[in-house]
Amino acid sequence: MTTYQNNDHLAGDFYTQNFAKTAGEGNLILNLGPQHPSTHGVLRVVVELDGEYIMRAEPILGYLHRMHEKMAEVKTAAQFIPNMGRVDYGHALGWNWAFVGAAEKLGGIEVPERAEYIRVITCELNRIASHLLWWGAYLLDLGAFTPIMYAFDDREKVLDILQIPTGSRLTYSYYRIGGVAQDLNADCIRRIQEFIPWFRSRLPMYKDLVSDNIILRKRIEGIGAIEQDTCRRYGATGPVARGSGINYDVRRAQPYSVYPKLDFVVPTSDLKDARGRYDVRMIEMEQSLRIIEQALDMMPEGEVLVKGAPKPSWKVPAGETYFAVEGARGKIGAYVVSDGGKNIYRTKLRAPGFCNLSLFAEVSQGTILADAVAILGSLDLIIPEIDR
Amino acid sequence: MEALFTGLGALYLAKCDAAKSGQAFQAFLPAGALVRAAERLLKANYFIEDICAVDCVEGYVVVYHFDHFETPGRLTLRVLVPHDAPSLPSIAGIFQGAEWHERETRDFHGVLFTGNPNFIPLLIDPEMADCFPLRKGEKARSKAKDMLEAGEVIFVSPAFTLMTPDAPAEVKESGGDQPATA
Repeated sequence: MTTYQNNDHLAGDFYTQNFAKTAGEGNLILNLGPQHPSTHGVLRVVVELDGEYIMRAEPILGYLHRMHEKMAEVKTAAQFIPNMGRVDYGHALGWNWAFVGAAEKLGGIEVPERAEYIRVITCELNRIASHLLWWGAYLLDLGAFTPIMYAFDDREKVLDILQIPTGSRLTYSYYRIGGVAQDLNADCIRRIQEFIPWFRSRLPMYKDLVSDNIILRKRIEGIGAIEQDTCRRYGATGPVARGSGINYDVRRAQPYSVYPKLDFVVPTSDLKDARGRYDVRMIEMEQSLRIIEQALDMMPEGEVLVKGAPKPSWKVPAGETYFAVEGARGKIGAYVVSDGGKNIYRTKLRAPGFCNLSLFAEVSQGTILADAVAILGSLDLIIPEIDR
Repeated sequence: MEALFTGLGALYLAKCDAAKSGQAFQAFLPAGALVRAAERLLKANYFIEDICAVDCVEGYVVVYHFDHFETPGRLTLRVLVPHDAPSLPSIAGIFQGAEWHERETRDFHGVLFTGNPNFIPLLIDPEMADCFPLRKGEKARSKAKDMLEAGEVIFVSPAFTLMTPDAPAEVKESGGDQPATA
């Protein structure tokens, strides 16, 4: 080694130095990410490998941490809404909803019925967009390049629809405390009505070409089984819990908005593996179409923002509340504590992906590295949501 | 619900208005009872939602949110820890998912959890991990009882005055008396 060489990096950084190795001799420590394509953003996983087998894995978070909870302390409630679209770009409207829902609960604000239906329609469209993003990217992780082209073709249509009322394509900030920013116009409704049969015709094709494909089945069946007990110990929700046979969906378990009036099925799978989670999401997209269809029929005329809706300087009345919605990744929770001051006293954002990822270390133990990528992808991770 | 807390030395147990605050029950526990309470909740098939802290005048109120997959009714456990030595036993041995929530709470508020198996910074860069961004200054703090839902009290320990609905009135009376006598 010459003096020109700096070998400091060989000692590893803080996290590798603090990584507790198992007893195995000659095991390899490998950093997966934070820039690896299969880690979807900037997740880093330190893994200890014995050959190809994972002895211990530890996700390292924080590369995309922006301290949204601090930002909530220095903004008024209305000013904080745009942050929600940045927490989870995959299902931004779900996060919009969780936060405005909590503020409405504390303020005792009734949302006009038309606005509730608009929320349901846009939130479910966003769920479809989120699941399509997961589907395309997951198959890309597993080595199938073509599906993401189809997924993004469909997703593009959803984004075009959502662009009309929200004005943006990814980080939506559309819900307001007391309603939504603007009504769905005739063009938007026509596009949604066209999209439903179109997307319905695409789903069987995806089943034939991808879901039943033997190569995919070999990659995801029997991989990454998550027991129901594990879901409880780690707080896994959403398709991860439902893929393990837990019939838990916030839209049914803690009903909000007009979901009780809508007829839809909460899909579950007893397979418990990556396949189970895959199936649940595929069926959820069909169910979202059903919800949108019904909501379009049932949507009454009327206001979309309650009269006398809070102004940007509105102070949230003192009190505490926890409002949860079913996001694409699970239970999104907004815990809001207010002392009646200008800014909200404390806002805690419960990210479903955070809990879903925390069980990865346990589930990936003993699997081979390639399967760990299949497990990681099956959890549907959006890193900005996990890091907040 | 009472059965779940018998023999734990709970300080406060109240039924809450789920439609308003999103929780069905809440309980204040002494720090020493936390691990046993978590064990019981796991046995009763609760799952952990999250852990966070709220910085109040009286100290940090550390909030543990639980929910149930089958029976509706969210449950909130709370523990009050002092500002000068915020430390609690970890429940990561029972609910493994708590490990990350506890590390996050340390990052944000500086509450320590003894027994957490991997107590290193989670979200904040290790080089600046002792900045505790959500700690409030003395003036910015508000009282817990002004913000947290009191609920319908099922049980309250005589020594516990943080949430007692009657306590604020008494404090106000004595507070009102003091200037008169001074």
